[in-house]
Amino acid sequence: MTVIELVNVTKTFNAGRTNQFKAVQEVSLSVTPGRVTVLKGPSGSGKTTLLALIGCMARPTSGRILLRGVGKPLFPGAEDNAELEISSLPERFLTAIRRSAFGFIFQQFNLVRGVTVLENVMLPAYPTGEKRGTVRRRAQGLLEMFGISRHASSRVDLLSGGETQRVAIARALINDPRVLIADEPTAHLDTGLSRDFMEIMGSFKAEGKTILIASHDPLVYDSTLVDRVVEMRDGRIIYGGDES
Amino acid sequence: MNRGFERHRSIIDFSISSLIRRKGKNLSLLAVYTLVVFVIASTIFFVQALKREAALLLGESPDIVVQRLVAGRHDLIPIGYVEKIAAIRGVSDVKPRLWGYYYDAAVGANYTVMAADSDPPPAGGVRLGNGVASTRRLSDGDVLTMRGADGTPALFTVEKVLPEASELVAADLVMMTAEDFRTLFAFPDGRATDLVLSVSNPRETTTVAAKIVRLFPDTRPILKSEILRTYDSVFDWRGGMLVVILSVALLSFIIFAWDKATGLSAEERKEIGILKSIGWETADVLMLKFWEGTVISLSAFLVGTILAYLHVFFFSASLFEQALKGWAVLYPRFRLIPVIDPYQLAVLFFLTVVPYAVATIIPSWRAATVDPDAVMRS
Repeated sequence: MTVIELVNVTKTFNAGRTNQFKAVQEVSLSVTPGRVTVLKGPSGSGKTTLLALIGCMARPTSGRILLRGVGKPLFPGAEDNAELEISSLPERFLTAIRRSAFGFIFQQFNLVRGVTVLENVMLPAYPTGEKRGTVRRRAQGLLEMFGISRHASSRVDLLSGGETQRVAIARALINDPRVLIADEPTAHLDTGLSRDFMEIMGSFKAEGKTILIASHDPLVYDSTLVDRVVEMRDGRIIYGGDES
Repeated sequence: MNRGFERHRSIIDFSISSLIRRKGKNLSLLAVYTLVVFVIASTIFFVQALKREAALLLGESPDIVVQRLVAGRHDLIPIGYVEKIAAIRGVSDVKPRLWGYYYDAAVGANYTVMAADSDPPPAGGVRLGNGVASTRRLSDGDVLTMRGADGTPALFTVEKVLPEASELVAADLVMMTAEDFRTLFAFPDGRATDLVLSVSNPRETTTVAAKIVRLFPDTRPILKSEILRTYDSVFDWRGGMLVVILSVALLSFIIFAWDKATGLSAEERKEIGILKSIGWETADVLMLKFWEGTVISLSAFLVGTILAYLHVFFFSASLFEQALKGWAVLYPRFRLIPVIDPYQLAVLFFLTVVPYAVATIIPSWRAATVDPDAVMRS
């Protein structure tokens, strides 16, 4: 049962201009739930764009993206495994799906500077209208799980690289998403911290979460946790396109 | 609890924490904004107070004032004229007035000394305007010393300090009996400073004035409409100055709002991208920015308006004094009576708070409508 399915997806930037380029070309891919999938490839191969398309951050220029079992918060009457085509959904719906179904861990972590660790973790939950107390307790629980609860009231810009990434992971989990998306998560980490990161991903896999990672770090794509490696170059899948 | 309410609450809380986070920038913004509101509100309060003073002055002015002229120079008028003028058809009342200016060298101020025509103070007593009382630091029962016509000091007991019904009208007033007035100034008997007339039908004032001139060619009747014109020009001139100040303040506000509307720091832009990428809708980001703008503009409005109120009504519009208040020469200290027009306050609110709130939303809206995947590439 696939949770994400891409059918002939193409993404063109600056369409119609002299600097037009295709970041993703005719990509078809099925992602199975509860497994770790790694998108591997050099810089500019289209990994990040593909993650953005899957994570409802951008719409494809052509092709279809189907999500299964993520539409429940939007359409409460829908079946648990109902299929949703997100390629043509309005921005409001895309945002709601992104908020409830996906947790993002960015390469630069993208935490809000000057804000406390706790508030950074709570931020994705603000637009949901969930009770502040409930969100706060959940955020504190996540910080405890990652061993950084003592930094809860510190500003994020005062943390070390490893601690910052843990805050970013905690933030990605605050709305309890089914899918975790990580873009070059180990790019700024040393070997020890990179292994720690993969261990954390292992625990989420054990919980049944679907994990999508874009990376060209062998520590990631050679990890035993990884179920599938999809290799990309020039916006196309060159290896691992079919379910292995 | 309602999810919508919680969502608003969380976003408002975050907008306040964002303002505190950038406190250096926001405090300087608040200071400039408050200054602009302060100038505009001061101008509005000042004009309102002046207009009220003018209305009070005009309300009390007689229908016709008759002066006597000798070769074109103002002279004292014989009281004997009263009877003949009272006999003119349409004249309902004629009263002689005894008044004159008194220069107090001790404090460098001018007073208007007047003989009370009804309910006068007891002989040797005076009623003082608020301005005189505060300048000379006198209260009920104290003694006011004036320099008499023969150079000797004349002593008067302060019977009462007049209430602050209207500072401008009554502030410089020293009111005494007609006898004390004549003694103080060595004012000749049978003469008055001028005569004041009441005319039953206001449309007949011109006819009555013409009859007076025919009867007494040495007199000059001054109509209420002429007084009105004089005050109008005085207040209009000041009003014109205020319009200049108001225009400058509004212009600076527009430049300020425009600058805000076109500028969004790289950090703010990035922050908007991050919020969008973690699941904030464009509407949530706009709400955040709206609240940030509202907190700043509302605080500036409240602080600026309160400061302007204090400036105009408690510190005598001291910043405008030299340019706008002719009375500054007459009164060492001058206080306008507080008067606030809710309509003008509402206009000020909509002129300052609303455009600013909108101005903060425009650049944020531009930044918030960009695809959030831009953040993944930054």
